[in-house]
Amino acid sequence: MGYGDVQMIDENGIRVDGRKAGDVRPISIELGVVPVADGSCRMTWGTNEVIVAVYGPMEAHPRKIQRQDRAVLDVRYNMAPFSTSDRIRPGFNRRSREISKVTSDALESVVLLELYPRSKIRVEIEIICAEAGTRCVGLTAASVALADAGIPMTDLVVSVASGKINGVVVCDLNKSEDNYGEADLPMGILPNSGELSFLQMDGDLSQEEFQEAWDYNMEAAMVIGGYCAEALKNGGYNL
Amino acid sequence: MSIPLVPQLLRSHLIELAENDQRLDGRGQWDGRDVQLEVGILGNAEGSAKVRMGDTIVYAGVKFQTMTPYSDRPNQGGLMCSAELRPVAGRQHEPGPPSPESIELGRVVDRGIRESGCIDTEALCIIPGEKAWQVILDLYAISDDGNLFDAFALAGIAALRNSVIPLAKFELGEDIPLDVSKTPIMCSYHRVGGRYVYDASGREELGGDERIHITLGADAHVHSLQKGLKGTFTAGEFAELMKQARTKGDELRDLVHSLEGGN
Repeated sequence: MGYGDVQMIDENGIRVDGRKAGDVRPISIELGVVPVADGSCRMTWGTNEVIVAVYGPMEAHPRKIQRQDRAVLDVRYNMAPFSTSDRIRPGFNRRSREISKVTSDALESVVLLELYPRSKIRVEIEIICAEAGTRCVGLTAASVALADAGIPMTDLVVSVASGKINGVVVCDLNKSEDNYGEADLPMGILPNSGELSFLQMDGDLSQEEFQEAWDYNMEAAMVIGGYCAEALKNGGYNL
Repeated sequence: MSIPLVPQLLRSHLIELAENDQRLDGRGQWDGRDVQLEVGILGNAEGSAKVRMGDTIVYAGVKFQTMTPYSDRPNQGGLMCSAELRPVAGRQHEPGPPSPESIELGRVVDRGIRESGCIDTEALCIIPGEKAWQVILDLYAISDDGNLFDAFALAGIAALRNSVIPLAKFELGEDIPLDVSKTPIMCSYHRVGGRYVYDASGREELGGDERIHITLGADAHVHSLQKGLKGTFTAGEFAELMKQARTKGDELRDLVHSLEGGN
């Protein structure tokens, strides 16, 4: 089956999982889930489940990785072997390396690394159960876990993806929409400033569709940013 | 990562505590931490479990693949068990290829399950000589505060016992539960402050010496043993550990069965 062959949105604009075009899947956030870490966060988003642990700031070694003017951020995105329908062989692959890198780039933009010269902050993103949009969940949960670790930041990074299915622009693609959809636009948004620190896209969108997807992401990020803030104040959200 | 500076102060503190029959967290010599066991929690795994023992937290997930049977066992499927110590689980765990520690962990847990014969590998055969099921048990630590061996073994057997063979996904018929006829349980003992204790915490492991792992079946049959790290022990000490493992093993086996509606 190819793009557009699978009917995933009905004539009333209702998607396969019952959502309307602009709806986000249910989200829950729990802090302190890795007791041995300095900060941690478990985020469920639809049937995605992601655990992030933060260690540091701590000594950066070997010394050659140290930066004299700031901390280094060491971000790893990894999928558990049992997180997907087909088992994933353990170990890094090109996809997880790229996601680790862009996630690191997105977080470096908000973490005040210059406060911790010559040190290292480790961010470990573990995908326990994957539905679709794991890079978005991982990035959002990572920014919450960094805040839980008490690391100074200018803002959170809330990430969400919109896309197109059967010619209709929708927010927060689920698994079948991601597999059979026509476009995917993940963005990482700083909820307080409204700026972006992460952007990817693949597929086919007209200028109008692109703007619609962009607006959905912006709107959703503000709402999800509110959930994150509530979780940080109260130790959790929607548990 | 740097080799942890084994704190001599911690060692001498542990010796003092042991002399007074005490432990760092107030437990008795043979007391375990509270155990929380959940099963069937991961949507994309064919069987799953999560175990929490104190601040040690692990997941186990079961996946099925089809394999070509080995030529010397054409009518048998296989079981593969692998343990991953991801850097998420603690600041002492570094990224990189599997460490000797995580390989030992996976292999000891694997032997306990495999050698108990709880999985009938002939029942995993689909077409003799051509196609059989490979059961893959992945053990995943997310928080390491000591005694990952027991947490992995418990999560592993609980996950296998609620697994479903995904026949439908492979267009081979309707899904059926994986038949797991036994419930092997591992109990691990560390020498801390000169004496053995059950279920050592991370700090007890750091300031302790050798460890002994005992996996027993319901009939107290012994399925796997492993002695790890530097140190020696006496026959008398081992006999006591075996006795303790029988009692504790029965308790944990009841916990696993209590989540299954009694079988």
